[in-house]
Amino acid sequence: MRRTTIRVLGWLTVLALLLGLVWGFGVAPREVTQGNVQRIMYLHVPSAIVGEYVGFGVLFLASIAYLLTRSERADRLARASAEVAVVLLAITIVSGSIWGKPTWGTWWTWDARLTTVTILFVMGLAYLLLRGMIEDGERAARFGAVLGILAPLNVPLVHFSVYWWRTLHQPPSLLKPGPSMISGDAIKDALYINLAAFVLLYAYLVATRVRLLRREVEALA
Amino acid sequence: MPDNWGYVVAAYAVAAVFLGAYWRYLARRARQLDAYSLRRRRPPSMGHREPRAHVPAP
Repeated sequence: MRRTTIRVLGWLTVLALLLGLVWGFGVAPREVTQGNVQRIMYLHVPSAIVGEYVGFGVLFLASIAYLLTRSERADRLARASAEVAVVLLAITIVSGSIWGKPTWGTWWTWDARLTTVTILFVMGLAYLLLRGMIEDGERAARFGAVLGILAPLNVPLVHFSVYWWRTLHQPPSLLKPGPSMISGDAIKDALYINLAAFVLLYAYLVATRVRLLRREVEALA
Repeated sequence: MPDNWGYVVAAYAVAAVFLGAYWRYLARRARQLDAYSLRRRRPPSMGHREPRAHVPAP
């Protein structure tokens, strides 16, 4: 992606994040049951969806593409996506923990959803660690691609953990088939606007990282 | 239920710190690559000599 395009994407991301903040704090009403602490969901839910499904989904597909074609572009995309997914999952885990203290009465519990997300986060870290440990670029890409396929296999486990086990965590808010469990259009709108903003944020960060990885290879050539 | 604004501010602040740190890492990497490519592009005929510390050890 060209530098100008990435810059435009960056400004669009800033605007979308600002709109999300305005909607989340200015337009969406105070939630009746949870109070204002529910506003953490405008951060927690988008970062979780984009980090888990988009970030690890792209890592999975790009890793398969690399093993099939040995394309360096696929490898760069996989690595960039893994980095951004790990950052977003860290935000998910910390914001969920901060929300959990006033709502559940605890910072952390070994609930099925929390545990599976943490395993996914650690697998993302392991992927990045593996890439950093191997000096030979081709071997790092090949081994990384194998882990890049294995780690996202945990995503369905994360998604269905709230159905398969008795958990403290509620079922999915947005990715649930059938009628929505979210009350109020403004709350739903705030979630969707912030979700769109996080998709843009992910695209901007991945595009920037992919460009940097390409420049690193060119600089070493 | 009380409003717990402190928790809300803390959650958004932590997210801003994480994203800011990653963005700064990317910006620093870009600056390093810019400096590196500038050094490589500089023509040797200009009489510029690299500082001793930058000369790679044999």
